[in-house]
Amino acid sequence: MKSAATLLALLAPLSAHAAETGALVRFVSCPVYRDADSGKKSGCWLADDPATGLRWDVSHSPYKPDVGMGVLVEGRVSAEAPTACGAPVLEPVRTSRLDTPCVRHVLPAEGYPGRKFKLPPRNIQPLSVARPVPPGPYSERTFVTYFEFDRDFLVYQYDDFIIDNAVTWLRAAKPKKLIITGYAATQPETVTGRKLAERPQVAQQRADAMAETLSRLLPGLPIETRAKLAAQPTDHPDADGIPGQSQRRAEIRAVF
Amino acid sequence: MPRGRPSSALRRRLLLLGLPAAVLAGAATQSVRVGADAPDRWWSPGEGRVFPATLDYTNDHGTIRTLVVDGPIETKGHPFFEPIGTNGRACVTCHQPADGMSLSARTARERWDATGGKDPLFAAIDGSNCPTLPQGERASHSLLLERGLLRIERPWPVRSFNGKPVKPDFRIEVVRDPNGCNSGPGRGPEAGNISVYRRPRPVANLKYLLAVGFPFDPKQGYALPLDPDDGKPQSGNLMADNRAGNLRLQMEDAAASHLQLMGKLTPQQIDRIRDFELRIYAAQQESVQGGALDTLGAEGGPVKLRDSQPGALGSIGTPVWSEFAAWDRISPADAARLTPEQLAFRQSVARGARVFRDRTFLIFDSAGINSRMGFGNPVRNSCVFCHNMTQMGNDVAPGQVDLGTTTLPFADPWDDLPLFRVTCLGEPHPHYGRVILTYDPGFALTSGKCADVGKITLQSMRGLAARAPYFSNGLAKDLRAVVDYYERRYNIGYTEQEKQDLVNLMSVL
Repeated sequence: MKSAATLLALLAPLSAHAAETGALVRFVSCPVYRDADSGKKSGCWLADDPATGLRWDVSHSPYKPDVGMGVLVEGRVSAEAPTACGAPVLEPVRTSRLDTPCVRHVLPAEGYPGRKFKLPPRNIQPLSVARPVPPGPYSERTFVTYFEFDRDFLVYQYDDFIIDNAVTWLRAAKPKKLIITGYAATQPETVTGRKLAERPQVAQQRADAMAETLSRLLPGLPIETRAKLAAQPTDHPDADGIPGQSQRRAEIRAVF
Repeated sequence: MPRGRPSSALRRRLLLLGLPAAVLAGAATQSVRVGADAPDRWWSPGEGRVFPATLDYTNDHGTIRTLVVDGPIETKGHPFFEPIGTNGRACVTCHQPADGMSLSARTARERWDATGGKDPLFAAIDGSNCPTLPQGERASHSLLLERGLLRIERPWPVRSFNGKPVKPDFRIEVVRDPNGCNSGPGRGPEAGNISVYRRPRPVANLKYLLAVGFPFDPKQGYALPLDPDDGKPQSGNLMADNRAGNLRLQMEDAAASHLQLMGKLTPQQIDRIRDFELRIYAAQQESVQGGALDTLGAEGGPVKLRDSQPGALGSIGTPVWSEFAAWDRISPADAARLTPEQLAFRQSVARGARVFRDRTFLIFDSAGINSRMGFGNPVRNSCVFCHNMTQMGNDVAPGQVDLGTTTLPFADPWDDLPLFRVTCLGEPHPHYGRVILTYDPGFALTSGKCADVGKITLQSMRGLAARAPYFSNGLAKDLRAVVDYYERRYNIGYTEQEKQDLVNLMSVL
């Protein structure tokens, strides 16, 4: 874990004035879909920051928006040219579907190509592909999975990748039990003039969801679940430097 | 010939009597003799026939072939073929070889006409619109005769799923009950059951439907559930509403309901049925328009299915329907061996495979695709997005998806099906809102989740030519109607050529 000063720097609020590469952007908006067509999954997801009027390309999020629902955008300004979708790019970026309805906006491609789909780096191999056994020695270790805002749903090509790696290690390490702690970011924060806080119960729901999945992948291994509120950010690498993402997590601790 | 058209053997003879070019064409279109000397189309329970290792039956599009590994099989005494229940039916009653191991509506009509409605197929329990109706009247069996639908009675409320207690997060009420099976005495949600109407799914090529590609179900957000019998991950692809995760559970469900077996299947019966089900393959073998489907480099027919590894995702391995890729590049010399019609048809099939894989469109508001998975709503993709398993076209992941085929506003407004009002008690459905009108809640009747209303498990695309109509409720009367449904549902903008290419592709699977 990094120092508190480092975390504070990571958390520093950034506005449109600070749209430098690596700057953190966070806002609530209605998503816009641009129907770019470079093949499968090539369409663009855009979102306008109401505070600055800046439009961002949020297509790199592992969890894409719903054009009819609000979205919480959290990302860092990328150096990628805005040529694919017609807006500056956030990468890494997370989008979370909110329960607020939005008017649907679908734009034509307008000459923007979108991005030809390629598998994200966090994708798992088929079961037919043997997983290399991780070398020992094995000792207490924690794996972290992440969620959308206020959700407990396993994120495809993100959480499954993390869990697959964790399970491969756990099968080799044979811990005595797992302790799964679900976290919820329950302390309200104002984003785009809206107070956002996760429900307290989502912490336990996250722990339960992970416990259910791990009980299927590691049958017979004892699992305890816990819940913690007021989650604080961490600098775990799989949160990709997005503080809000790091708060919305479940930790899987292997105990020997 | 009950179908009023020449057998493939006769068509072959006519072909061979034609011009020299046609004689040459015979070499390029005939792999083995198909369709000749086929036994009676209808397999009655307890007949004691021998099920051949290879068995061909004609249909409108050509010839379907069933292939039994290490066949033939003596059916006498075999629990798949014997009437082991109390109503005279056997498994084979609704899983007929001539219909790709499913049952077409036309076969049901032929059986009605042949027996005056006395065949056990029309058993009151589920071969009629409702057991309370006068069973001697054709109208009482209209859903089976017109759309190939059997009544499926599900318990309500759902109490458990994957071995865990469940309390449904939705209320269900009957809006309309044209057949009386959701509102009469002892019937309907208030009486603890719900009747829906569904097509029998094919019992063939099952190693593919049981195959597990990845350890997770991304549509449900969990690792795959484990088989209660062997502890291995379950594919989730067997039944329309995913209520049975393995063959034993499916057999027991079917024996108790469709066969009205009063006791239980014995372990020996289960083993014999499973053994047969895992040995039988079915696929179209010959096309009326295109000739033999395993010639000039094509790999149609069930042999390829028998010999391939199941569970492969087409996008990272062998592309879906690449069995017909060779017909995309028929050499001039080979083309000269075909009639112009055969050549055009084969080229159309190959184009259809590409349209299936590559022609993208916007998929929107389909639970299981656009929610809760993170693909986004909408997402641009093609048919192969969901129909992604190499050789079969089912979903490598558990295939519970809502295409709208059973739910308003997308389903056809049929007034002969019961209509239910579903009210979500927790979160609203991600696309329909809080109140949903549906003919069949589908997977929600198994999971108890409102978000699963309307989801129906994708099925195999093999043997389609033999088993119209299509979709779980027989919504599409023929292959063109399948394409037309997708066109309407997603506003795809297929050209007429693309539509015909897709139809031709589906006719040879």
